[in-house]
Amino acid sequence: MKRDPVILIVVAVVISLMLVFGIQKVRHNNGPAYLGGESKLQGQLAPDFTLTALDGKTVKLSDFRGKAVLLNFWATWCEPCKIEMPWFVDLQNKYGPQGLQVIGVAMDDASPKEISGFAQKMNVNYPVLIGKDSVGDQYGGIPYLPSTFYISRDGKVVDRVFGLVSRSEIENNIQKALGQAGQVAQK
Amino acid sequence: MRVASSFGLQGKHILICSALLASSAAGFSSVNAQDISYSRKQSVTMQPPPIASIYRGHPGTVQLQFRVSSGLHINSNQPKEEYLKKTELKLDAPTDITIEKVIYPDGQDRTFPFAPDEPINVYSGDFPIEVVLRPLKTVIPMKYAVHGWLFYQACDNAACYPPKRLPMSFEIKVVKSATETKKRIPPQSPHTHD
Repeated sequence: MKRDPVILIVVAVVISLMLVFGIQKVRHNNGPAYLGGESKLQGQLAPDFTLTALDGKTVKLSDFRGKAVLLNFWATWCEPCKIEMPWFVDLQNKYGPQGLQVIGVAMDDASPKEISGFAQKMNVNYPVLIGKDSVGDQYGGIPYLPSTFYISRDGKVVDRVFGLVSRSEIENNIQKALGQAGQVAQK
Repeated sequence: MRVASSFGLQGKHILICSALLASSAAGFSSVNAQDISYSRKQSVTMQPPPIASIYRGHPGTVQLQFRVSSGLHINSNQPKEEYLKKTELKLDAPTDITIEKVIYPDGQDRTFPFAPDEPINVYSGDFPIEVVLRPLKTVIPMKYAVHGWLFYQACDNAACYPPKRLPMSFEIKVVKSATETKKRIPPQSPHTHD
């Protein structure tokens, strides 16, 4: 039986495209950003939540509207999270006057006292909130820590990153959230 | 071959290119599919241990073999920092069988890209945990199942996964002790003694 080469090529190309796009779709929906995925939340309004801070005050995300927010989900047992925290302290000092607010959300089963002690040890200068799974779920689930969401001044998710990345990448994302993208590379 | 010859040299090249495209796409996809499923499954598995025979009234050891998924590590049972989650085996023994001791191996001090100057005491790859059990003297000799779970918290080089519990179980066979067996041997005839 004579086979048409064009049909064979078309079949191969279609199968290839199905495999590539099918997997890409899954990754964009579920895959960690540090592996190249995107969030469904990207470009959407960041889900609002109300959580209790370590000082006992109630904090609502929407209270920070008008500021760029770096929303960092972390835990005391997460070693890579510990590396980022001093960077966040520095970046809060550097970009705070320009409208950045770093917010830590502790996804921890440790007591608030233990979390507070840890945060003090790390010289944290930004609010740390006691996290809840329901808030993590609002953000698409937090399968890995650290997980960081960058929120623009108008409350939209600009980017999210799962896992530890370089300080310069964090700074780039802060610039994006502040609406100053492209300025970090020159500095 | 009829089909190949009918394509000519150019046709063959097109087919080869198409096959390469398809296989590379499949390869690319399978790599990423692994990344995605990575977070959803357990990072540690237990290899089913052989059934250990333990004399009743005596301690016996069962060695359990665990495996940490490639590219991951978990804290040892003695992590250096108090806030790190230690690996721990919790067992629920059947009535009249006591868990005398759980023996954890020493972890390895390893540094990671996220903390190059602070070694962390971890398990990675395969590691054993030994369980010392003692069935009471009154236990009926037969097989018993011991259930429990391994508590662990895994990380890779850049991220950590929430603490997890690995449900596990193993079987032991309680047998009569050697002294009990000896008692059963009938006394020898006095004629055989001097």
